[in-house]
This record gives sequence, structure tokens and C-alpha cells, in this order.
Amino acid sequence: MSSPSRRILVGVGNAGVTVLDQLSVEFPALTGLLAVNNDSDSLNASIVRDKIVVPEGDPREGFLAIDEEFGRAVEGASAVILCGGLGGETGSFLLQALAILAKSAGITTIASVGMPFSFEGKHKRDTAERALEKLQEICDAVVVIGNDQLSGGSPSTAAIGEAFVLSDRALLTSLLTLTGMLSTSGPVKITRADIHHVLGKPGSLTHFGFGKSDGANRLHEALEKALKSPLLALSGKGSALKESPMILLLLRGANDISFAEMQAAVDKIEQIAGESCQIKVGVHADAPLGSALEIHILASSGGAVRKPSKASESGEFKERIGSITPIAPIAQARTKSTILPELQVHEGVPSGAEADGKGVDELFPVPTKPASKTGKKPVATSKQMQGTLALDTYQRGRFDKSEPTIVEGEDLDVPTFLRKGIKLNPPSRK
Amino acid sequence: MANEQIFVGLEIGTTKISVIVAEARADDQISILGVGETPSRGVRKGEIVDMETVTECVREAILDAEDKTNVEIGNVWVAITGSHLASFNNRGSLVLPEERQIEQEDLDAVELNAKEVAIPTPNTFLHTILQAYHVDGNQNVIDPLKSEGALLEADFHIVHGIKTRIHNTLRCIESLKIGIEDVVLSSLASAQVVLSQDQKNYGALMIDIGGGTTDYLVYIDGAIRHSGVLALGGDHITNDISVGLRLPIARAELLKIEEGSAADPAGSEGGIISLKNDPRFLGCDVDRTSLDTIIHLRVKEIFELIRRDIESSGEGMLDLIRGVMITGGGSKLKGVAQVAEEVFDIPVELTRARNVSGATQIFEDPQYSTAIGLTKYARVVTKNIAPESMLDRLTQGLGSLFKKRSR
Repeated sequence: MSSPSRRILVGVGNAGVTVLDQLSVEFPALTGLLAVNNDSDSLNASIVRDKIVVPEGDPREGFLAIDEEFGRAVEGASAVILCGGLGGETGSFLLQALAILAKSAGITTIASVGMPFSFEGKHKRDTAERALEKLQEICDAVVVIGNDQLSGGSPSTAAIGEAFVLSDRALLTSLLTLTGMLSTSGPVKITRADIHHVLGKPGSLTHFGFGKSDGANRLHEALEKALKSPLLALSGKGSALKESPMILLLLRGANDISFAEMQAAVDKIEQIAGESCQIKVGVHADAPLGSALEIHILASSGGAVRKPSKASESGEFKERIGSITPIAPIAQARTKSTILPELQVHEGVPSGAEADGKGVDELFPVPTKPASKTGKKPVATSKQMQGTLALDTYQRGRFDKSEPTIVEGEDLDVPTFLRKGIKLNPPSRK
Repeated sequence: MANEQIFVGLEIGTTKISVIVAEARADDQISILGVGETPSRGVRKGEIVDMETVTECVREAILDAEDKTNVEIGNVWVAITGSHLASFNNRGSLVLPEERQIEQEDLDAVELNAKEVAIPTPNTFLHTILQAYHVDGNQNVIDPLKSEGALLEADFHIVHGIKTRIHNTLRCIESLKIGIEDVVLSSLASAQVVLSQDQKNYGALMIDIGGGTTDYLVYIDGAIRHSGVLALGGDHITNDISVGLRLPIARAELLKIEEGSAADPAGSEGGIISLKNDPRFLGCDVDRTSLDTIIHLRVKEIFELIRRDIESSGEGMLDLIRGVMITGGGSKLKGVAQVAEEVFDIPVELTRARNVSGATQIFEDPQYSTAIGLTKYARVVTKNIAPESMLDRLTQGLGSLFKKRSR
């Protein structure tokens, strides 16, 4: 079970295990799943192959009985994503304990947790909030799903069962988004430092959206779905993106994702979020041809402002013009070894055998192909991105806010002479 | 049915909304009684983006038309465009249980069969246009009715689009308490008055360059072989000028109309165009070669996209024996025909509504081809004429759509 250099998804408690079950139904090829629960009946019913049964009773004693087993299970992993619901005794305690264990083994540790619904009572909420605070101290990043957000603020009309299904769905999506963003396939990567930067703030709420489409107008359909995600809404305040200082945007699909599509997505997000927001883009163009285009959006709002991590503060990171910062050049300019120690020094956890970007993407095994084989304009490689993103070469003028005309992967609203790089004589003012 | 009928065509364009009130005379001529018109607001790239504003504009245009013609407008024929529209050709086939005379219901069944294809779920069929019948492998039977056979096949050109967007147009008109006779693909409407029967029979490409979209249609052997909508038009040219020469949109539009040329800038007369001060604009000198370069590149690109699309649909330029007919407001730009010839490599003609007469000279302006074409289309569809020409056969194909929509 402990094959080296991989990402492990750990479902903790009933909620976590349910989500893993759904994941393995929808993505049967998925590996690296581990179910941990003290309810042996529910664990037996689970279709996840690797399981750890925690003895029932006091969770502390239960944990001590399984800590070695868990340690062996995650040994050598490059990242551990814990997922579960907060509020219950088991989940709240086990999530923290397992996080400490993983983190102290030098593994990048991310938690994705669901907060209780308000109808579940104040006691549960308090327990959850205390546990969340701890988790945010321990983990590199925490995705927080406010379950009340899901019901669109009016849980009264939704059936209770439906509400829990929604919440499981949200957890599942968060796992997909996280694993997608952690994957190393490129051509434009999102680094762990980026994820940490967005998610590492204590007390903040995480927002994400996911949409996919394979239609002719796939970018817009996928983007619309992603933006409509209830988890991108702040109750009564519109889109959460407006309050997010930094947004991660991931486009995932076959190698025909065009530069125009990426640009259109960034433009749309920027329109909503405002220009002061930092948008980090990742493009993973490694799925088989004909695959649907997936769009993942990850952002956070509110929360105390943590002392900015070095990873986001130093060097060329902040120097970039404009608010759009392509990630790949940075990832390349900074070697793995410079990113991670910063992360870990900041967290105060000693560095382990971890190596950023080491084969953490067995989740969606797909053959890697060079991006330019189709003969079309190659999907933005890091160098092109820097050149083309310079803002004064990109103008859609009056079509700025309208649905773009994308034909053969090119945004045709951009003047032809700009796309062809033709030089003109500027007018002379009198 | 009276010999003289009044038809109203409504085109909600990106630049303007026009209402044509026309009379179909017994000699098959369309006579225009008058035209109502308002500048369009709330339409982008041929599609409605602001319902309320557009509805108000349509109301104004209709009132304008009623004023000018003294005709009370009850029902209209509406043109539709937008990049969501897509088309393909498909063959339907029907094996008759025994060799017998082919009846009307067999023709209906074969059309249904041709429509049994998967289109995207949000889409709906807009047109199913007959191309040709084949009976027992006998190609291109003009009228299979009453002929004997065991296998009936028919080729159709099928146009579909996103339901909600088509409904937007309908809702906007219905909210004015105006009835809709039918919704017609813009290029199909234009072709009714822009192409002659001879051109349709021998093969021609019609391109209608509008403000927000460029619509095109290929006729070969008297039938529609291909149609397409490109969400690029005159607005794009204006925008390119505005971006390239740093002029306000309104000034760029004026410059395009007054001085612009799409012809190859290598032959540009060069020099400087002096733009004068006006209250909202500080004058400047513009380099003519730059202006021509901007326009040329865009127009050429539009034609190249159309050529590639037609060729990928399986038709070659050499099949278009009668060449390219260009209409629409965009065709008024200097040098357009030259660029088209360069790209398509076949004869090109700038054209406008033909076989039309009327009190106003509006039919001489290529901007109105679609709206005028609607009235001609209406005439063709509602008329019951002897089944001799291919066009009439076509009519029956469209007629079934007419029945479907009015249900």
C-alpha cells in the first residue's frame, strides 16, 4: 500500500468515507484511497480497498491503536489530503490527529472539511470551529466547506437528505479540484506554494467552483457552471470572488485547450473579481483528445491575514505587472528545493523525504503527449505565455464584455492585425 | 387566397432593426410598400442581450413602418442569426412495404427519418430543407409523388440552434402583441432575393456581411448544400480600427465608411488622412496604409474562415460555377469584392435584392437584403404553385416547418 511518491486521499469518519465511495464509483481507476472510521459496519460496506478500523470508544485511545498503521499507510507519500466532516467527536479529533501525524512525517498535508449545518446545533458548531482552528494551524492548507452556503441560504425548502448529498458532493468536488491542482502535468502548473497561499489563512472560508463541458462553446458552458457553484457565493453578497485576494484557476482537458480559451476564462474571472485580485492559472492539457474541458476555481475569503508566506512575497512573484501571474515560469524559475523549504520553515515542520511535483498524479492516469502535435497553435507553453500576456498586446475593445467569437481555438474578437503581429503607424495628435 | 398579399419581414440586426412591408403581386414580383427602421440597441453579434431595450426598439420600428405604409401590422416573418446556429446535411430513407405509388405521407416519413439525428440537447431544429429525392437509386427525382418505387430516399439540409436563444427573439416580438408567422435563417431569407434561380441551379455562394455577423449559404444544383453563421462583421472592422488607431468607436465607424478600403494595402494610395476636431474628439492625422491594413486583414480573414468552413463541409470552390454574391451592409466597404476574389479565386459580384420594385428605393441598398428576402420567402412558402421548379419543391420542405411552427 505504501508505494512511494504519490498522493493519498484519506476519508475520515462517515462523511469522509461516503465521499471516497462516491469518488471510486465515478472514477474507478482512482488509486491511493484510504478509509478511516470507527464505525466498522459502515467501513465494511465501503468499496474503498484500503481501510483502517479505529476501535470504538474514546477517540484518543482509538487513535493510539491505529497510529502506527496509519503511519505505514502514508509513508513515502508526497501529499496527504484528509477529508471529512467536522463537528462529530470522531471526525473532529481524528482529522487533527492524523494531520499531525502526516505533517510530522514531512508530508504536504491538506484537509478538506465540511462544517456542520446550522440546524445541527450550536454544540456541534463550536466543536467544529475549535477543530478547524487546530487544523488550520497544523495543515499546509485547509478547504472549508460551509454547508449552509450550499443550500443557498434557504435550507428550509430542501429535504434534509438532499442537503447532506449536496454537502458530500461539495467535498467530492473539492477533492477533485485539489488533486487536479496538485497534479504536475502542465503545461502550466499550479504550485503547492500557490495552493498554500490561497488556503493557508486561518479562519477563512474556502470557495470553489467546478464545471465541465464538451460542447462547441465549452469554455463558456464550463465556466458558467463553475461560476454558478453555490460554494462561490457569499450569502447575500454575491460572488465570493470579489472578496478573494487570490484565485486559482485550473483548466483541464485535452491538448486542444487554446490560448484564447484560457484568456477568456481569466478575463471573465477578472471581471468578477476585480483587477486588484491575483489570478493564478494552471492548464493541464493531458487528457485524451475529445475529453471534456474542466474548469476548477479555488479561492478563499475573510479570515485573519496571516503573516505573508515567503513563497508569495519574495522575488519575482510580486514584481509582475498586472494582476495576472502565469505560474509556469515561476515554477520553472524556482527550483523545487527553494519552494518547499520555505513552506516548511514557515510551518515549523522539518522537511521530510517530500519532493514537490514527484509523481503525485496517479489519480487520473493519462498519457502525456506533446501539446503541439495537432498542428494547431500549441497550447501556451510557459515562454509564450509571458510574451502574449503582456497586457498591451491583448485587446478586445468593445467586445470586451461580450461572448467571445472563438473559431479554431482563436479569439477572433481580438483585431486580426494584433493576432498576426502587424506593426502600424500610430496616429499623430495635432 | 387573394392574388395580392401583404407580407411583413422583421430583421433584428446588430446595427439596425428593419421592418419591410411588401406586397406580393400576381406576377410574382415583390413590391415594397415601405420600411420602418430604428438603430438597434441591445443586440450583439446578431443575438439579443438586452430584452427590454430590444423590445422597445422593435416597437419603434414597427410603429415607424405602420406610419409610413398605413398598414396595420399583425403578423411578421422574423429573421434569425447568431453563432449558435449550426447545420449539416443528412439523408433519410424509407423502405416501402411493397412497390407502390409514393404518397405525401411517405414524403413526410422520410423527412422525419432524416431528422432522427442527435443534436445537442439545448438545441432545436430550425429548418429541414429538402435537397433532392431519390427513388430506387434513381438520383434527383424532382417530384416523387405518384411515382412507383420500393425505396424512397431524400437529402436534407438541417439547421438547428439553441432553443432558448431562438425563443428570446420570439418572446421579444410576442410581448408586443405581434404574431409570428415563422422564423427564418437570415441567410436563407437573403438568398431569396439576392440569388437568381440560375445561380442556385449552377452553384453559388452568398455572403451577407452584417454588423455583428456574417451569414453565408451555398447553393448547388438548386439546393442548399451548406449554411453558416460567423459572429464577425462590420462591428469588428470598426473595433479593429478603434483599437489600432486609438480612435473612439463612433469616429472609427465614420472613418471606415468614409475612407476605409479592404483592398490589399500594397496598392494603397498611402498618405495621411486628417481627422478634424469636433466637440468630443481631438483631431489627429491617420496613416492611410495602416487603416487599409487593419481592414484588409480582417475582411480577408472572414473570407478565409468561410472558405475553410465550406471546404471542410465537402464542397469545392469549383462547384460554385456562378461565383460569389456578396450583400449586406458590409459589402458597401470599398475593395471587398477584390479581397473576396483573392480568397475564393472565382468570380465575385456585389449584389442586393433583385426582382423587387416599390415606392422606396430601399431595395437598392444591400443592407436590406435579409428583411426584403423575408417577404419573398413568405410569398414562396404561402404560395401554392405548380410543382415544376426545384424551388417549388424546396418550398414544400419549408412548408412542413411552417406547419410545425404554427401548431
